[in-house]
Amino acid sequence: MFPDSAQNSKQRLQTFEAEALGFTDQLYRVALRLCRNREKAEDLVQETYLQAWRSFHRFELGTNLRAWLYKIMFNVYYSGQRKDRLHLVPAEETIAETIAYDPPTPQHLTEEEVLAALERLPRDFQIPIMLADVEELSYREIADVMEIPIGTVMSRLHRGRKTLRADLAKYARTAGYKIEEK
Amino acid sequence: MQKMDCRNFKELLDSYLCQELAVETNHAMLSHAEHCSPCRIELASRRNLRQALRRVCAEDRMSDDACRRLRALLQAEAAAQETVKAGWKERLGAMFKLPLARPAMAMVAVLVLVVGGFALFRWQNLNRVSALQLSEELMTDAAADHNMCAPYAKGETLHISKPETFMAFDEACLGLEDVLKAKTVGMELRSAHVCGLKDGRRFAHLIYKRDQEMVSLLVTPRDQQAMKLGQLPDLDTKDAGIQETHREELSIGAYQTAKRVVLVVSRLPNEENEKLAQTLALPVVAHLRQIEGQRAFLQWPRTEVIAIVKGGELK
Repeated sequence: MFPDSAQNSKQRLQTFEAEALGFTDQLYRVALRLCRNREKAEDLVQETYLQAWRSFHRFELGTNLRAWLYKIMFNVYYSGQRKDRLHLVPAEETIAETIAYDPPTPQHLTEEEVLAALERLPRDFQIPIMLADVEELSYREIADVMEIPIGTVMSRLHRGRKTLRADLAKYARTAGYKIEEK
Repeated sequence: MQKMDCRNFKELLDSYLCQELAVETNHAMLSHAEHCSPCRIELASRRNLRQALRRVCAEDRMSDDACRRLRALLQAEAAAQETVKAGWKERLGAMFKLPLARPAMAMVAVLVLVVGGFALFRWQNLNRVSALQLSEELMTDAAADHNMCAPYAKGETLHISKPETFMAFDEACLGLEDVLKAKTVGMELRSAHVCGLKDGRRFAHLIYKRDQEMVSLLVTPRDQQAMKLGQLPDLDTKDAGIQETHREELSIGAYQTAKRVVLVVSRLPNEENEKLAQTLALPVVAHLRQIEGQRAFLQWPRTEVIAIVKGGELK
């Protein structure tokens, strides 16, 4: 009397898993920067996938699934921490402004040094850098995912990289590298 | 193609590193870096930074345990959705499979039809009843007209207006006293005239004397002002009935034809006035109906009285 929808649902889940679960590590990397805690980051990714599955019938296959997942993740994150929405803090801007040059990034840095420099970076800069340099999202996608204007994305990237490179240059100096300053 | 300078180079650097540029632009970027030392250093520096960040971040992976939990959670969620969706369908399907389900549903359907039909009939009837209610103003005017004319009819002189007067007002009202001759045994005709009130409501007015009481029979057009809702609903013979009300010491009973209202007004108690209204007004109504081209009711169906207005309330 009624169509057997169980089979349809099973197929739909298989499609979702095949298409979306490949991005778990990428989502987790950004979630880790957002939450700064492994457990919380895993929970965030888990909740993101749950929400995505519930809305999967609205997703148009063939469009940018990865950006869609990031967008859901930021929505889940923002709704959980309304007051903690990523925004520019004046103090952080002044840090970036005080750096008058873009020091080159030395080639031989240890992972600990890079990680420590990344962790020291204010989160407002850290997240766009993660999304752009590691996850290779376009400016437009970053603006959409973080719900900030595209101009702000560019400015945060520029200032974030400056800060990061200035930080990393210190390691280079202590290691005896000669930094060519502009 | 746009000339590649240091400014353009920096702007396009991200896209270059993401390998998003067209072949020509890529080539222009490399050519520029070859000749411009600061840009070359910048390119190398940015590439180093990207590689360093990727290297560091590549080690952050979801634990196998978390991945397993995620899959289990999704499957549980999908199953839960399926249960909810299938639940009501199964329950509904199961209902049809019960042995007595079909006869029971047929009975329910019949019951719904009967109750619904009855409710619809009542609702339509109620609408018809309220649509046929006469206006308070008409009743007040009839009472006022009786009060105005009755004192003059008490005198010795019998006053009958000229036929032209009735013709000018309403041809159908000419000779109503003759129509009522057989019904007014023991009553004395005192006046038959046309009169009117200040607001324009006009009546063909017959006044009889019964014992010491003056009884008015009034005929007036059934216009919009005569109706409570201000609209003129179609009137078939079944719908017409008496409507009664009071104005101070006066009892009023009213009947309708399609085009006219016939009222009986007196100081008699309500029940007596109602009987008198039947005696006097019904033959007039039958007469008017004939003229209006409708079938005459020789015997008025008392049971079909549909509205009795007392003190302005529909009962």
